[in-house]
Amino acid sequence: MKLELKDIQKSFGEKEVLKGISFSAVSGKAFGLLGRNGAGKTTTIRILMDVFSADGGKVTIDGAPVNYQAIKIGYLPEERGLYPKKKIIDQLRYFAELHGMKSSEAVKAIDYWLDRLDMMEHRDKRLDTLSKGNQQKIQLITALAHNPDIVILDEPFSGLDPVNAMLLKDVVKEEIANGKIVLFSSHQMNYIEEFCDRIAILNNGSVAIQGDINEIKRNYVRDKLVARSDQAGEILTELGACCTKKEDGSLLIQLKSEGQKQEMMKRLTEAYDIDEIKVFEPSLNDIFVEHAGDHV
Amino acid sequence: MKQFGTILKFELNSYFKNKVFVGITLFLAAAIAAVMFFPRIKESIEGKETQTETAETGSSIEGMILFSTGGAGTENAEAIRQALDQAFTDYAVCLTEDGIEQIKEKVVSGEAECAFVMNGTLSYTYYVNNLSLYDRNTEIADEIFSTVHGIETLTASGMTYEEAGAALTAPVTHETESLGKDQMKNFFYTYIMIFALYMVILLYGQMVATNVATEKSSRAMELLITSAKPVNMMFGKVIASCLAGFIQLLAVFGSAIIFYSMNKSYWGDSMIIESVFGMPADLLIYMLIFFVLGFFIYAFLFGAIGSTASKVEDINTSVMPLTLLFVAGFLVVMFSMQGGSVDSLLMRICSYVPFTSPMAMFTRIAMSTVPFYEIALSIAVLIISVIGVGVVSAKIYRVGVLLYGTKPKISAIIKAIRKA
Repeated sequence: MKLELKDIQKSFGEKEVLKGISFSAVSGKAFGLLGRNGAGKTTTIRILMDVFSADGGKVTIDGAPVNYQAIKIGYLPEERGLYPKKKIIDQLRYFAELHGMKSSEAVKAIDYWLDRLDMMEHRDKRLDTLSKGNQQKIQLITALAHNPDIVILDEPFSGLDPVNAMLLKDVVKEEIANGKIVLFSSHQMNYIEEFCDRIAILNNGSVAIQGDINEIKRNYVRDKLVARSDQAGEILTELGACCTKKEDGSLLIQLKSEGQKQEMMKRLTEAYDIDEIKVFEPSLNDIFVEHAGDHV
Repeated sequence: MKQFGTILKFELNSYFKNKVFVGITLFLAAAIAAVMFFPRIKESIEGKETQTETAETGSSIEGMILFSTGGAGTENAEAIRQALDQAFTDYAVCLTEDGIEQIKEKVVSGEAECAFVMNGTLSYTYYVNNLSLYDRNTEIADEIFSTVHGIETLTASGMTYEEAGAALTAPVTHETESLGKDQMKNFFYTYIMIFALYMVILLYGQMVATNVATEKSSRAMELLITSAKPVNMMFGKVIASCLAGFIQLLAVFGSAIIFYSMNKSYWGDSMIIESVFGMPADLLIYMLIFFVLGFFIYAFLFGAIGSTASKVEDINTSVMPLTLLFVAGFLVVMFSMQGGSVDSLLMRICSYVPFTSPMAMFTRIAMSTVPFYEIALSIAVLIISVIGVGVVSAKIYRVGVLLYGTKPKISAIIKAIRKA
């Protein structure tokens, strides 16, 4: 299954929020939707979910307009919140039924997820008796219980402790392995790098860059080396201005051209005791700052 | 449609699982039971007391009324006393020789209920400690003094005392046959129904608004709008609260009917009770129609207003204009009812204006004779308005639930609705 957004435009009053957004995501892969606050991520997600319609462009699945009756979407909004005063099982069942499940099916699915997320003991409690992290796990169930085809997770890891984050990671990996389209939005780049094969960075209502993460990284000119050595001081002295020491103690070596990398690697490994040497690739964080940060 | 059913069930369940809702319903039913059982309880307690009292004093007189000729003297002092005694059956009327100050003291201390002190043959002063709003004692006394004076005048011109008395107090009989409605008889149930309508619309309408605003402020809305169609959400909420209100009314009136039938014989022929429980069936149907339509038109608007508020605290100020409109309509109807002028021009206008017609037209149907085409027209206008308001409210709701932060300006909302 392939989800495609083509040239989506949207304005609120005078304000043009989306200026032609296009990207695509496929089943069994996670897609990272990135962008600074106010870049248009939530609006894009809402259009994708048919909360309101776009002024222009279209959303398609396998080339045909989305049939929202047939396609199930699960959504974990960035702004979390359910009914604080209601019993957890009651509200989870309500949301599952709103997504078209029968009551008995819903209870079965919810029980599976409560068990999967270690929340079974809270089944009949009121939501406001739970900690923030646990409330978030409950909210995650509203996004997954109805076995959606498309899962949209907006900042799913914020507020989770490392153990719960690990649990969620496993769940997300399972969902991807089950052939779902997982749409990920987060500012925690390490998670995006871990899960997503493809990304789109939105900037000011447009897609600044998109594609396969590795390809994006590869497209950068490969004219820098990163080296780790106990003889860092000596290397610094020898190479002079074209070598700088990074915060983590490794050395960043600027080459005159991409073709020089093989020669430089050989030279350094022969002359010094080198622990590690490789071509420098920008991190997703670097790419994000470069493409989304021009308005800082 | 399935989604609407899910929302309706969820919302209705929220009411039934709400302790306050259940508590108030039970309390009202209990209060009605207490009222309905009151005469039975009173009779069983008083029955015993009266027996003992009669055994001790041999009379059931509640107090004393003083009557003084005020030193002026009249031959018929005793005749006036007797007449007063007959008129005020619950009191013993005593002729006193006391001075004004002593009489006043006795009235103030409560020893005497009140006092009539004559200033002349056709003039007297009425002393009473606290003048009640409904005190009609002077009217009774006026008539007695006037009659006694008439008898005195007639006897002076040669008639015997008995002849004069008979001539002046000749009994008149009359019968009233109302060809339309008997306002007196219909007043009480109309009053109760209008009041019930007023309470339910205001309480449950506000609940719809608060409900929507709570979902928004708890951010459950973020998930709701992506899970359900706004129209389903709006209609689900409004119809659920209408049903909840209706069920509460049914519980209250139902328990009233049950407890009344259990205690019917103890109520004797109280006009109010007979009026309330003798309500004609067709009026109940009109009540139902106007209740449902009136509820919808307000609840839709309350829901729409609730959707524009970001915080629950904003609700009170946001709904004020709507509440004021409703209260104004209620007051017009209430004053017209109490003034007996339910067919005044204002009421006629109000019975076609959709926001006031549920109360105004219902009152007119109950207390006056309204041609059927007028009723049909009023209901038709109301139905069309309910549909119109429903559509507009759903649009406001759709736009409103996504607006956070500052309260949107009306112009911004109108713009957004046009686009929606």
